[in-house]
Amino acid sequence: MPHRWGMAVDLDRCTGCEACVTACHAENNIPTVGPEQAARGRAMHWIRVERYWEGDFPDVRLKFRPVMCQQCDAAPCEPVCPTYASHHTADGLNAQVYNRCIGTRYCANACPYNVRFFDFFNPQWPKPLHLQLNPDVSVREVGVMEKCTFCVQRISAVRTQAKAETREIKDGDIKPACAQACPAKALVFGDLNDPESEVSRLSRSPRGSKLLDDLGTLPKVTYLARPSDS
Amino acid sequence: MDRRDFIKLTAITGTSATLASCGNPEHQLIRFIPDDDLVPGVAEWKPSVCPLCSAGCGLSVRVMEADAEVVRNGERGLVKIAAAKKLEGQPDHPINQGGLCPRGQAAIQITYHPDRLTQPMTRSGARGSGEWKPITWDEAIAEIVSQLDQVAGEPAALAFLARPRRSRRLELATAFVRGFGAPAPITFELFGDEVLRRANAISFGRDQLPTYDLARSRYVIAFGADFLGTWNSPVAQNAGYGAMRQGHPQVRGTFVQVESRMSPTGANADEWVPVKPGTEGVLALGLAHVILKNNLRPDRGADRGAGAPGVNNVRGGGAPGLNDVRAGASIEGWSGGLTAYTPEQVEKISGIAAKRVERLARELAEHGPAVAIVGGPPLAQTNGLFTALAVNALNALLGTVGQPGGVSFMPQVSQPLAVSPKPFEGLATAKVLLIDDANPVFASPKAWKMRETLEKIPFIASFGSFIDDTSSLADLILPDHSFLESWTDGLPESGAAVAVANVAGPVMRPLHNTRATPDVLLDVAGKLKKPVTLPWKSFDEMLTSSMPEAAWATVQKQGWAEVTGPTPVARPALRAIAYAEPTFDGDAGQFPFHFLPYASQALYDGSLAHLPWLQELPDPLTSAMWSSWVEINPSTAQRLNIAQGDLVDVTSSQGTLRAPAIVSPGIAPDVIAMPVGQGHQTFTRYASNRGANPVSILAPVTEAETGALAWAATRVKIARAGDPDGSLIMFAGEMREHPHEHEVR
Amino acid sequence: MSKDSARRISAMNEDLLRPLVETSWRFWLLVAVLGSIVATGLGTWAYQMYRGFGMTGINMPIYWAFYITTFVFWIGISHAGTLISAILRLVNAGWRRPVTRCAEVITAFALMIGAMFPIIHLGRPWLFFWLMPYPNQRMIWPNFRSPLVWDFFAISTYLTGSLLFLLLPMIPDLALVRDKTTGWRHRVYGVLALGWQGTPKQWHRLESAMQIMAIAIIPVAVSVHTIVSFDFSMAPVPMWHSAIFGPYFVAGAIFSGIAALIIAMAALRKFLHLEEYLHPVHFQNLGKLMLMMSLLWTYFIFNERLTVWYGNASAEREVFLVTQRGSFAPLFWTMVACNFAIPFVILSIKKLRTITGCVIASFTVVIGMWLERFLIVVPSLGHKYLPYTWGHYRPRPVEIIIVASTFAAMVLLYVLFSKLVPIISIWELKVGEHFVADATPQEAAEHPLLKAHP
Ligand SMILES: Nc1nc2c(c(=O)[nH]1)N[C@H]1C(S)=C(S)[C@@H](COP(=O)(O)OP(=O)(O)OC[C@H]3O[C@@H](n4cnc5c(=O)[nH]c(N)nc54)[C@H](O)[C@@H]3O)O[C@H]1N2
Ligand SMILES: Nc1nc2c(c(=O)[nH]1)N[C@H]1C(S)=C(S)[C@@H](COP(=O)(O)OP(=O)(O)OC[C@H]3O[C@@H](n4cnc5c(=O)[nH]c(N)nc54)[C@H](O)[C@@H]3O)O[C@H]1N2
Ligand code: SF4
Ligand code: SF4
Ligand code: SF4
Ligand code: SF4
Ligand code: SF4
Repeated sequence: MPHRWGMAVDLDRCTGCEACVTACHAENNIPTVGPEQAARGRAMHWIRVERYWEGDFPDVRLKFRPVMCQQCDAAPCEPVCPTYASHHTADGLNAQVYNRCIGTRYCANACPYNVRFFDFFNPQWPKPLHLQLNPDVSVREVGVMEKCTFCVQRISAVRTQAKAETREIKDGDIKPACAQACPAKALVFGDLNDPESEVSRLSRSPRGSKLLDDLGTLPKVTYLARPSDS
Repeated sequence: MDRRDFIKLTAITGTSATLASCGNPEHQLIRFIPDDDLVPGVAEWKPSVCPLCSAGCGLSVRVMEADAEVVRNGERGLVKIAAAKKLEGQPDHPINQGGLCPRGQAAIQITYHPDRLTQPMTRSGARGSGEWKPITWDEAIAEIVSQLDQVAGEPAALAFLARPRRSRRLELATAFVRGFGAPAPITFELFGDEVLRRANAISFGRDQLPTYDLARSRYVIAFGADFLGTWNSPVAQNAGYGAMRQGHPQVRGTFVQVESRMSPTGANADEWVPVKPGTEGVLALGLAHVILKNNLRPDRGADRGAGAPGVNNVRGGGAPGLNDVRAGASIEGWSGGLTAYTPEQVEKISGIAAKRVERLARELAEHGPAVAIVGGPPLAQTNGLFTALAVNALNALLGTVGQPGGVSFMPQVSQPLAVSPKPFEGLATAKVLLIDDANPVFASPKAWKMRETLEKIPFIASFGSFIDDTSSLADLILPDHSFLESWTDGLPESGAAVAVANVAGPVMRPLHNTRATPDVLLDVAGKLKKPVTLPWKSFDEMLTSSMPEAAWATVQKQGWAEVTGPTPVARPALRAIAYAEPTFDGDAGQFPFHFLPYASQALYDGSLAHLPWLQELPDPLTSAMWSSWVEINPSTAQRLNIAQGDLVDVTSSQGTLRAPAIVSPGIAPDVIAMPVGQGHQTFTRYASNRGANPVSILAPVTEAETGALAWAATRVKIARAGDPDGSLIMFAGEMREHPHEHEVR
Repeated sequence: MSKDSARRISAMNEDLLRPLVETSWRFWLLVAVLGSIVATGLGTWAYQMYRGFGMTGINMPIYWAFYITTFVFWIGISHAGTLISAILRLVNAGWRRPVTRCAEVITAFALMIGAMFPIIHLGRPWLFFWLMPYPNQRMIWPNFRSPLVWDFFAISTYLTGSLLFLLLPMIPDLALVRDKTTGWRHRVYGVLALGWQGTPKQWHRLESAMQIMAIAIIPVAVSVHTIVSFDFSMAPVPMWHSAIFGPYFVAGAIFSGIAALIIAMAALRKFLHLEEYLHPVHFQNLGKLMLMMSLLWTYFIFNERLTVWYGNASAEREVFLVTQRGSFAPLFWTMVACNFAIPFVILSIKKLRTITGCVIASFTVVIGMWLERFLIVVPSLGHKYLPYTWGHYRPRPVEIIIVASTFAAMVLLYVLFSKLVPIISIWELKVGEHFVADATPQEAAEHPLLKAHP
């Protein structure tokens, strides 16, 4: 059976620390754009920790919600892409082929979660900052769209390794950078087609829901609610 | 990597580093030879230690082949090196258990920073002018040796300034200055925890920071501590917190946060209790009063909860000196049932309704194991020690000291840290100052006149890797290797159940013509006219000799080892103290607002403002990046006609700063908060002249008992100073212009 | 043929061919001014490509703004010509004769300019051809499910059709120019006239072709703007995802197209002194048509907004409110004034429905319809489902310059065209005069039409 990669985000564990955000930058060669461009709304964070206030002082509450590409099974970003740069892979990922992208930004408009980021300029890595670049991840150039890939390079590496060892991929073998870094273990990644996997178990939790479920995008990320929120 | 590889790498590093520093042209041959054990495209993982805070998280560094451009004596060459590519939390490390905080993730940018100092330099213009002349290591060492020789025999003439970190590195520096006849290093940290250390020494006989077994707590009440953000051992605490919430089937721990400005930690609380600054200890004792009066004290046998599942297997129960009677004895009126702290009285002082005090106390007592945490702003008041002792006493009453789900103390093998409450006093007599990566000019109140003090010191040498507010005043720059290029160590004092010694060798060769500071000190020690004799030839030799062979073998494999030894026990004089009203600098009429600087989730105390990943990390509560801001309650903002992004002047008795406003519902109407981190005069291209430094307007108020800086005890006034100037940069787009539209409806 | 009508014919030839043979310094000045604006626009585009797309004001989450607005705007304007002239031809509205060609030219040029924008707005415009199917060794095709690929087919079909529709009835006039000129002009127009001799067979074929084209072009035109509307309505974006968009866009397109046509006719009338051929009644009639479209447009936007308001779905309500009452309200109410209030007053009161009145109304409609597209594109993208990601947009100089230069490009192309081809269809006008019965043999010889065509 093919894999179906998914993620569970436990909002009860997540403390909003943003370790996942920096980890994703480090893993995926996501550039910083600098203050001027950031002020123009061009900062790139494939995963962001949204926060929402509720109530007024002193009865004020706050919610954190890490949001990355939801890897929708019915991804609105895919059919609109004229070049198949945004497309579905056999294991259910919403893949982004940077080389094929011509920068219409249509996919980003169609994505209800606003998780697609555009390279408005060529990224800057003043030397020797370039030495930190991950050789397993391409550096995107100006004019293309980029977004969370579920750290596809890590998935491939484990797949290759497992194949070489003629074994199946075990639950927990693959950890995307964000999940790896998360100190509170709020992010769990795995195969949704394996009913025994941790992520499958969590996805079936009564606390679980999908972000913007009613849009019918069939996300593969499940959010587990903070019990005190309901 | 096996042992042989490790030694090989160490040998290569050592040799090349030494040769690199000779200044002879022939070593270029060596420098341009590729690392021959590299397999292109194949990653190796090597252990290291996160250097950014005293938590001491273990790193696993991904190392791969890369083409590095190196310049040696003016010649440029490309060399294939093993380059660190990514830092990850070491899965088996007892403190961080695989996780890292956002700052730890970004630490790699220190090594590759484009503005890192690449070679020794001497000042060529006026002090602070930023004009430098490159020199060779020989010249640099000769210069510092001659400066030291000139002051030999004058004991107070040499001062060594460092950040307080329990480490062999600091021990080496201490041995060096002591051998020279000078006083121990002066260590200063803005968000240092002297008050809590002192309180723990009094209450529990342990002069150190506490470890919390949150994973097994059922009820956590925290007083001001940003323990999920920046305080103490945040990664360990996040791990415990996650397990407390969802680590056990059916049971979910409750978390209550008491503070006057919602911290990122408070944002996670089930119940958020805003409190008048400086009255947290009263609340703690009020809770204790209710428990004592109603005889709710949980009966917690030693076995209670021992079988509970947990991530962090705390075995602190039998730790020496742990004595809950002593904790109570430090509080006046404890044995009499704390009659001065009735819920009504607590309501009067702290502003928290008596009913609420009553309920919280019952919840605490009934839903054990419960633990109280204190740290941060409540201890940065004039009555901070009282507050810390009160919370310690509450913990003792709850019966979870040294117990599963409670507070305990990690065994230690090193002496407690000596933090200097007033570092400028120690510097007044100095003629030669050595600075190891401390930036007190930035991180101390203007009233301390740190800059003026340093300007009077005839000779300053800095080992730091960057020109910052302090090292810009130096005469000589002796840049250190980065932590990835050298031996690095730390002796964390909290976050795990066992004594952990972090020691890791270099994971890559030095990129620049730098030298490991401990080795430079050893080199200098031997070259003095009256040599300082130290028992080690190199820093790694010191590290080797610091632990048994078996532990050393473990360290080489994983970067840390459990070490054993007698834990030092503190026995400070015991005196029962009572609540004293906190005093604040500034008249309440003229300066109506409490001013609360806080450690920024991204930039910490400002020492990380030079890392672009952290500058562009959206603040968890405001989404601000690359900015300074002032948090104001909406009703206050409305009253003062201040809107999001408007510039405001914040004025204390010490001066005025200007920054954009952020209107936030998570702050009391009489409190103004501001993140520390920006406002550097000079600190690389990313942080120089960006934003404002709240520390600069702090009054030199100190905690009454310890003399520590009471950084939350300054009052200010605020006034709208102008329209938004674009300096407030936010990631959440709508918040850039319409903050009020940015709530869930 | 009466003396009178003979005089009229030769005056007609003279008036309508004059711009082709006489060139004043004013013409060159105009071309120079417009040309330099267009050159500035092209230079700015090159600059944008060189520096990076970030020179625009586009940001996360407003990934489409000025360029896509202007794309829809020009494609809308293109409905002026071919569609209107096709309808008028089919219903055989006699007053159309002087109007059809200047209308059809608008279509051709507006389409060409509009089609530039999907390329200008690309992050990597040099790879624009990946939007099209083209044979390649690796057998990589565009994604036929993408509305942007539908756009390619729709626009290229409409452009081809419109060009044919424009060129076919030009043939007799090109032949006339050939016959009336000497030297290089004679030779060039000779080639362009495709050997037109005005034989009955040729007339018959031209007539049939025109008839077929007029019928065929209508569904194409309707489909083009429907497909353009699909660029929006196919995406799950609040207030984009709407079934009303197809007809709403087509109505809006015709609406703005008429406005553009009125402005073009008024300009030609004034600058080429065509008062004799473009009468107030033409403006009156087009004005009435525009009034109807204004009411239709108002009906659509009323429907669109009422259903959203009533439905009160959370995401759509945010877009609704921010347009109706929030930061976009000034633009929204300006749009309502431009597209409804002002044209309604001017065009429904007979005394105001003068040429000047119609032109004023047309200008407000052109502005209003540009705003309409802006208000469709930007507020929705700025207010998608997750409030944390809401955002704002302000255009930056490159966008303003490039968009502005396309207006200059339109005028420039128009001016050059009317310099090279009679902007009013001479033969159709002549047919409309009904003087065939008494044509002199000499007159009949002068134009075969007069013999062959009643
Ligand atoms: N999967 C896959 N495998 C392939 C191919 C394919 O297309 N796909 N192509 C095949 C073909 S056609 C070829 S030619 C081979 C190429 O395979 P290889 O010969 O392995 O070629 P490279 O890996 O490019 O280079 C080998 C090493 O030479 C080092 N090198 C560079 N310059 C020098 C030098 O001056 N002196 C020395 N001593 N070393 C140097 C480089 O750093 C590198 O580490 O791969 C074959 N294998
Ligand atoms: N950047 C970069 N460039 C290189 C090199 C490098 O390492 N890096 N290596 C250089 C070297 S050593 C070499 S040998 C060249 C190789 O360069 P190329 O000869 O271009 O090699 P490929 O791209 O591997 O294959 C060419 C094409 O052959 C097709 N093909 C495969 N099987 C068949 C077949 O049976 N029949 C036909 N007709 N076509 C077939 C493939 O689909 C592919 O489109 O590249 C050189 N260029
Ligand atoms: S979240 Fe957005 S980008 Fe990711 S698959 Fe879904 S629609 Fe596409
Ligand atoms: S921006 Fe790239 S990925 Fe997105 S729709 Fe356009 S071509 Fe496809
Ligand atoms: S899965 Fe990978 S790419 Fe996606 S957010 Fe996490 S770290 Fe980033
Ligand atoms: S790292 Fe984990 S806890 Fe921190 S913000 Fe991300 S998901 Fe939440
Ligand atoms: S808490 Fe963060 S900064 Fe401190 S040592 Fe751990 S990873 Fe490093």
